[in-house]
Amino acid sequence: MHVPDGVLPIWLLAILYIVSGLMLIISVKMINKKFDDRLVPYMGVLAAVIFAAQLVNFPVPPSSGHLVGSTLLAVMLGPWGGMLIIGMVLFVQALYGDGGLLTYGLNFFNMGVFSCIVGWALALLLFKGLKRLTSEKKSVLISAAVASYVTTVSAAFVLGLELFTVPGFGVAALSAITVIHAFIGIGEAVLTFMILLYFVKAKPQVISFLKESEVTEMARVPKVPLLMPQTES
Amino acid sequence: MMDRKEAIRYGIPLLLATVLVTVVIIFGLASQNPDGFEWSLFDFAGVTEPTGGFEGIWAFLGNSTIVDVMTGIIGIVSILFLGYAFFWLTSRRTK
Repeated sequence: MHVPDGVLPIWLLAILYIVSGLMLIISVKMINKKFDDRLVPYMGVLAAVIFAAQLVNFPVPPSSGHLVGSTLLAVMLGPWGGMLIIGMVLFVQALYGDGGLLTYGLNFFNMGVFSCIVGWALALLLFKGLKRLTSEKKSVLISAAVASYVTTVSAAFVLGLELFTVPGFGVAALSAITVIHAFIGIGEAVLTFMILLYFVKAKPQVISFLKESEVTEMARVPKVPLLMPQTES
Repeated sequence: MMDRKEAIRYGIPLLLATVLVTVVIIFGLASQNPDGFEWSLFDFAGVTEPTGGFEGIWAFLGNSTIVDVMTGIIGIVSILFLGYAFFWLTSRRTK
Protein backbone atom coordinates (compact mmCIF):
# COMPACT_ATOMS: atom_id res chain seq x y z
CA MET A 1 0.00 0.00 0.00
CA HIS A 2 3.10 2.24 -0.15
CA VAL A 3 2.58 4.56 -3.12
CA PRO A 4 5.79 5.70 -4.87
CA ASP A 5 6.40 9.16 -6.33
CA GLY A 6 5.35 9.88 -9.89
CA VAL A 7 1.98 8.11 -9.85
CA LEU A 8 -0.56 10.51 -8.35
CA PRO A 9 -1.07 14.21 -9.24
CA ILE A 10 0.85 16.76 -7.19
CA TRP A 11 -2.30 18.65 -6.09
CA LEU A 12 -3.63 15.55 -4.34
CA LEU A 13 -0.26 14.93 -2.68
CA ALA A 14 -0.14 18.57 -1.52
CA ILE A 15 -3.64 18.41 0.01
CA LEU A 16 -2.87 15.19 1.84
CA TYR A 17 0.51 16.56 3.03
CA ILE A 18 -1.37 19.42 4.68
CA VAL A 19 -4.03 17.14 6.22
CA SER A 20 -1.40 14.68 7.44
CA GLY A 21 0.80 17.47 8.82
CA LEU A 22 -2.11 18.86 10.83
CA MET A 23 -2.95 15.39 12.17
CA LEU A 24 0.69 14.87 13.19
CA ILE A 25 0.66 18.16 15.12
CA ILE A 26 -2.63 17.23 16.81
CA SER A 27 -1.24 13.78 17.68
CA VAL A 28 1.86 15.24 19.32
CA LYS A 29 -0.32 17.58 21.39
CA MET A 30 -2.70 14.77 22.37
CA ILE A 31 -0.01 12.37 23.59
CA ASN A 32 1.84 15.06 25.49
CA LYS A 33 0.26 13.76 28.68
CA LYS A 34 1.50 11.92 31.70
CA PHE A 35 2.32 8.25 31.52
CA ASP A 36 4.77 5.99 33.28
CA ASP A 37 8.26 6.46 31.85
CA ARG A 38 8.91 2.72 32.27
CA LEU A 39 6.53 2.19 29.34
CA VAL A 40 8.59 4.31 26.97
CA PRO A 41 10.80 1.39 25.80
CA TYR A 42 7.65 -0.41 24.65
CA MET A 43 6.85 2.45 22.29
CA GLY A 44 10.25 2.01 20.66
CA VAL A 45 9.79 -1.76 20.54
CA LEU A 46 6.34 -1.43 18.98
CA ALA A 47 7.68 0.89 16.29
CA ALA A 48 10.57 -1.49 15.55
CA VAL A 49 8.26 -4.53 15.41
CA ILE A 50 5.89 -2.76 13.00
CA PHE A 51 8.83 -1.67 10.81
CA ALA A 52 10.21 -5.22 10.75
CA ALA A 53 6.81 -6.78 10.05
CA GLN A 54 6.27 -4.40 7.13
CA LEU A 55 9.53 -5.59 5.54
CA VAL A 56 8.10 -9.09 5.10
CA ASN A 57 5.55 -9.67 2.33
CA PHE A 58 3.35 -12.77 2.56
CA PRO A 59 1.97 -14.26 -0.68
CA VAL A 60 -1.61 -13.60 -1.77
CA PRO A 61 -1.48 -14.72 -5.44
CA PRO A 62 -1.29 -12.95 -7.83
CA SER A 63 -0.30 -10.31 -5.33
CA SER A 64 1.25 -10.08 -1.85
CA GLY A 65 0.66 -8.21 1.37
CA HIS A 66 2.27 -7.20 4.62
CA LEU A 67 1.15 -6.05 8.04
CA VAL A 68 0.26 -2.37 8.30
CA GLY A 69 -0.34 -2.43 12.06
CA SER A 70 -2.45 0.73 12.35
CA THR A 71 -5.36 -0.92 14.18
CA LEU A 72 -2.96 -2.86 16.40
CA LEU A 73 -1.18 0.34 17.44
CA ALA A 74 -4.42 2.30 17.83
CA VAL A 75 -5.90 -0.36 20.11
CA MET A 76 -2.73 -0.42 22.18
CA LEU A 77 -1.81 3.26 22.41
CA GLY A 78 -4.87 5.05 21.11
CA PRO A 79 -5.19 6.69 17.68
CA TRP A 80 -2.69 9.49 18.47
CA GLY A 81 0.15 7.24 19.56
CA GLY A 82 -0.67 4.87 16.70
CA MET A 83 -0.50 7.64 14.13
CA LEU A 84 2.83 8.88 15.47
CA ILE A 85 4.44 5.44 15.30
CA ILE A 86 3.07 4.81 11.80
CA GLY A 87 4.38 8.27 10.86
CA MET A 88 7.88 7.36 12.07
CA VAL A 89 7.83 3.96 10.35
CA LEU A 90 6.64 5.45 7.04
CA PHE A 91 9.28 8.18 7.25
CA VAL A 92 12.14 5.69 7.62
CA GLN A 93 10.59 3.51 4.89
CA ALA A 94 10.42 6.52 2.56
CA LEU A 95 14.14 7.10 3.19
CA TYR A 96 14.63 3.43 2.31
CA GLY A 97 12.82 3.98 -1.00
CA ASP A 98 9.65 2.12 0.05
CA GLY A 99 6.94 4.68 -0.67
CA GLY A 100 7.88 8.06 -2.08
CA LEU A 101 9.00 11.19 -0.25
CA LEU A 102 6.43 13.32 -2.09
CA THR A 103 3.74 10.72 -1.38
CA TYR A 104 4.62 10.57 2.32
CA GLY A 105 1.55 12.68 3.19
CA LEU A 106 -0.76 10.42 1.17
CA ASN A 107 0.74 7.21 2.55
CA PHE A 108 0.52 8.60 6.07
CA PHE A 109 -3.09 9.62 5.51
CA ASN A 110 -4.09 6.14 4.27
CA MET A 111 -2.10 3.97 6.68
CA GLY A 112 -1.86 6.40 9.61
CA VAL A 113 -4.69 8.90 9.90
CA PHE A 114 -7.53 6.98 8.24
CA SER A 115 -6.51 3.51 9.40
CA CYS A 116 -5.73 4.44 13.01
CA ILE A 117 -8.97 6.40 13.50
CA VAL A 118 -11.24 3.88 11.74
CA GLY A 119 -9.44 0.89 13.27
CA TRP A 120 -9.57 2.35 16.77
CA ALA A 121 -13.24 3.40 16.55
CA LEU A 122 -14.38 0.10 15.10
CA ALA A 123 -12.34 -1.96 17.55
CA LEU A 124 -13.70 0.06 20.46
CA LEU A 125 -17.31 -0.46 19.37
CA LEU A 126 -16.75 -4.20 18.97
CA PHE A 127 -14.86 -4.38 22.25
CA LYS A 128 -17.67 -2.70 24.16
CA GLY A 129 -20.18 -5.19 22.75
CA LEU A 130 -17.99 -8.25 23.17
CA LYS A 131 -16.91 -7.63 26.75
CA ARG A 132 -20.50 -8.16 27.85
CA LEU A 133 -20.23 -11.69 26.52
CA THR A 134 -16.66 -12.71 27.32
CA SER A 135 -13.53 -11.61 29.18
CA GLU A 136 -11.88 -8.24 28.54
CA LYS A 137 -8.71 -9.82 27.16
CA LYS A 138 -10.51 -12.11 24.70
CA SER A 139 -12.70 -9.18 23.66
CA VAL A 140 -9.75 -6.96 22.87
CA LEU A 141 -8.07 -9.69 20.81
CA ILE A 142 -11.17 -10.47 18.74
CA SER A 143 -12.22 -6.85 18.28
CA ALA A 144 -8.73 -5.77 17.19
CA ALA A 145 -8.44 -8.63 14.70
CA VAL A 146 -11.87 -7.99 13.16
CA ALA A 147 -11.33 -4.21 13.08
CA SER A 148 -7.90 -4.60 11.48
CA TYR A 149 -9.46 -6.71 8.71
CA VAL A 150 -12.23 -4.19 7.97
CA THR A 151 -9.76 -1.29 8.19
CA THR A 152 -7.35 -2.90 5.71
CA VAL A 153 -10.10 -3.39 3.15
CA SER A 154 -11.48 0.13 3.76
CA ALA A 155 -8.04 1.74 3.43
CA ALA A 156 -7.51 -0.09 0.13
CA PHE A 157 -10.88 1.22 -1.05
CA VAL A 158 -9.84 4.77 -0.11
CA LEU A 159 -6.54 4.31 -1.96
CA GLY A 160 -8.57 3.08 -4.94
CA LEU A 161 -10.65 6.28 -4.83
CA GLU A 162 -7.44 8.35 -4.78
CA LEU A 163 -6.18 6.35 -7.78
CA PHE A 164 -9.16 7.53 -9.83
CA THR A 165 -6.99 10.61 -10.47
CA VAL A 166 -4.64 8.35 -12.48
CA PRO A 167 -5.69 7.94 -16.15
CA GLY A 168 -6.45 4.27 -16.83
CA PHE A 169 -7.61 3.43 -13.31
CA GLY A 170 -11.35 2.78 -13.31
CA VAL A 171 -14.14 1.03 -11.45
CA ALA A 172 -12.86 -2.45 -12.36
CA ALA A 173 -9.43 -1.60 -10.89
CA LEU A 174 -11.10 -0.14 -7.79
CA SER A 175 -12.93 -3.44 -7.36
CA ALA A 176 -9.67 -5.35 -7.92
CA ILE A 177 -7.70 -3.41 -5.28
CA THR A 178 -10.56 -3.81 -2.79
CA VAL A 179 -11.05 -7.53 -3.44
CA ILE A 180 -7.33 -8.38 -3.26
CA HIS A 181 -7.17 -6.57 0.10
CA ALA A 182 -10.11 -8.63 1.30
CA PHE A 183 -7.59 -11.52 1.20
CA ILE A 184 -4.57 -9.50 2.38
CA GLY A 185 -6.71 -8.35 5.32
CA ILE A 186 -6.86 -11.92 6.63
CA GLY A 187 -3.07 -11.81 7.10
CA GLU A 188 -3.38 -8.43 8.81
CA ALA A 189 -6.02 -9.82 11.19
CA VAL A 190 -3.97 -12.92 12.04
CA LEU A 191 -0.76 -10.92 12.67
CA THR A 192 -2.66 -8.30 14.69
CA PHE A 193 -4.13 -11.06 16.84
CA MET A 194 -0.73 -12.75 17.38
CA ILE A 195 1.22 -9.58 18.26
CA LEU A 196 -1.57 -8.32 20.52
CA LEU A 197 -1.73 -11.73 22.23
CA TYR A 198 1.94 -11.34 23.19
CA PHE A 199 1.33 -7.93 24.73
CA VAL A 200 -1.90 -9.06 26.45
CA LYS A 201 0.14 -11.73 28.21
CA ALA A 202 3.45 -9.86 28.66
CA LYS A 203 2.42 -6.24 29.19
CA PRO A 204 -1.34 -5.53 29.33
CA GLN A 205 -0.52 -2.07 30.73
CA VAL A 206 0.26 -0.88 27.18
CA ILE A 207 -3.19 -1.80 25.84
CA SER A 208 -5.46 1.19 26.17
CA PHE A 209 -8.72 -0.81 26.12
CA LEU A 210 -7.88 -2.87 29.20
CA LYS A 211 -8.61 -2.00 32.83
CA GLU A 212 -4.96 -2.26 33.87
CA SER A 213 -3.90 0.12 31.09
CA GLU A 214 -1.37 2.80 31.96
CA VAL A 215 -1.70 4.58 28.64
CA THR A 216 -5.35 5.58 29.03
CA GLU A 217 -4.64 9.28 29.26
CA MET A 218 -2.48 9.18 26.13
CA ALA A 219 -5.23 7.29 24.28
CA ARG A 220 -8.02 9.66 25.24
CA VAL A 221 -9.94 11.32 22.41
CA PRO A 222 -12.28 14.32 22.36
CA LYS A 223 -15.87 13.39 23.14
CA VAL A 224 -17.49 11.20 20.49
CA PRO A 225 -21.11 10.38 21.40
CA LEU A 226 -21.10 6.72 20.36
CA LEU A 227 -17.68 5.89 21.73
CA MET A 228 -17.28 8.05 24.74
CA PRO A 229 -17.66 6.10 27.95
CA GLN A 230 -14.62 4.21 26.71
CA THR A 231 -11.45 3.78 28.76
CA GLU A 232 -13.19 4.52 32.03
CA SER A 233 -10.73 2.41 34.05
CA MET B 1 15.59 1.66 36.12
CA MET B 2 14.08 -1.28 34.29
CA ASP B 3 14.56 -4.67 35.98
CA ARG B 4 15.91 -7.73 34.17
CA LYS B 5 12.52 -9.42 33.73
CA GLU B 6 11.10 -6.27 32.22
CA ALA B 7 14.05 -5.89 29.86
CA ILE B 8 13.61 -9.48 28.68
CA ARG B 9 9.89 -8.89 28.13
CA TYR B 10 10.44 -6.01 25.80
CA GLY B 11 13.56 -7.49 24.23
CA ILE B 12 11.79 -10.66 23.06
CA PRO B 13 9.58 -9.12 20.36
CA LEU B 14 12.50 -7.04 19.15
CA LEU B 15 14.77 -10.04 18.93
CA LEU B 16 12.07 -12.09 17.20
CA ALA B 17 11.44 -9.29 14.69
CA THR B 18 15.15 -8.99 13.89
CA VAL B 19 15.61 -12.75 13.54
CA LEU B 20 12.46 -13.02 11.41
CA VAL B 21 13.62 -10.33 8.99
CA THR B 22 17.13 -11.80 8.77
CA VAL B 23 15.86 -15.33 8.12
CA VAL B 24 13.26 -14.18 5.59
CA ILE B 25 15.83 -12.16 3.64
CA ILE B 26 18.62 -14.77 3.75
CA PHE B 27 16.36 -17.63 2.68
CA GLY B 28 14.32 -15.51 0.24
CA LEU B 29 11.05 -16.40 1.97
CA ALA B 30 9.26 -13.09 1.36
CA SER B 31 6.82 -13.09 -1.53
CA GLN B 32 8.20 -11.49 -4.69
CA ASN B 33 4.71 -10.78 -6.05
CA PRO B 34 3.74 -7.10 -6.37
CA ASP B 35 1.76 -5.82 -3.38
CA GLY B 36 -1.98 -5.21 -3.64
CA PHE B 37 -1.56 -1.61 -4.75
CA GLU B 38 1.13 -2.35 -7.36
CA TRP B 39 -0.76 -5.33 -8.73
CA SER B 40 -4.07 -3.50 -9.18
CA LEU B 41 -2.52 -0.35 -10.66
CA PHE B 42 0.33 -1.64 -12.81
CA ASP B 43 -0.72 -5.21 -13.65
CA PHE B 44 -4.52 -5.07 -13.55
CA ALA B 45 -5.16 -1.49 -14.80
CA GLY B 46 -2.06 -1.49 -17.03
CA VAL B 47 -0.77 1.90 -15.85
CA THR B 48 2.93 2.41 -16.62
CA GLU B 49 5.16 2.09 -13.57
CA PRO B 50 7.30 5.21 -12.94
CA THR B 51 11.06 4.74 -13.15
CA GLY B 52 14.12 6.71 -12.20
CA GLY B 53 12.82 8.12 -8.92
CA PHE B 54 14.51 8.17 -5.52
CA GLU B 55 15.53 4.59 -4.75
CA GLY B 56 16.46 5.03 -1.11
CA ILE B 57 19.47 6.09 0.91
CA TRP B 58 21.09 2.67 0.60
CA ALA B 59 20.71 2.39 -3.20
CA PHE B 60 24.43 3.17 -3.68
CA LEU B 61 25.29 -0.12 -1.91
CA GLY B 62 23.60 -2.13 -4.66
CA ASN B 63 21.46 -5.25 -4.24
CA SER B 64 22.69 -8.23 -2.27
CA THR B 65 21.43 -10.37 0.57
CA ILE B 66 24.00 -9.07 3.04
CA VAL B 67 23.12 -5.44 2.18
CA ASP B 68 19.40 -6.21 2.67
CA VAL B 69 20.03 -7.88 6.03
CA MET B 70 22.32 -5.11 7.28
CA THR B 71 20.09 -2.24 6.15
CA GLY B 72 17.03 -4.06 7.53
CA ILE B 73 18.68 -4.35 10.95
CA ILE B 74 19.87 -0.73 10.82
CA GLY B 75 16.28 0.29 10.09
CA ILE B 76 14.89 -1.73 13.01
CA VAL B 77 17.44 -0.26 15.42
CA SER B 78 16.90 3.28 14.06
CA ILE B 79 13.14 3.04 14.52
CA LEU B 80 13.63 1.60 18.02
CA PHE B 81 15.69 4.61 19.09
CA LEU B 82 13.52 7.08 17.20
CA GLY B 83 10.38 5.77 18.91
CA TYR B 84 12.09 5.66 22.30
CA ALA B 85 13.48 9.17 21.98
CA PHE B 86 10.26 10.65 20.66
CA PHE B 87 8.02 9.28 23.40
CA TRP B 88 10.65 10.06 26.03
CA LEU B 89 10.81 13.69 24.95
CA THR B 90 7.11 14.33 24.36
CA SER B 91 5.69 12.63 27.43
CA ARG B 92 5.84 14.10 30.87
CA ARG B 93 7.15 11.58 33.32
CA THR B 94 5.18 10.37 36.31
CA LYS B 95 8.22 9.61 38.44
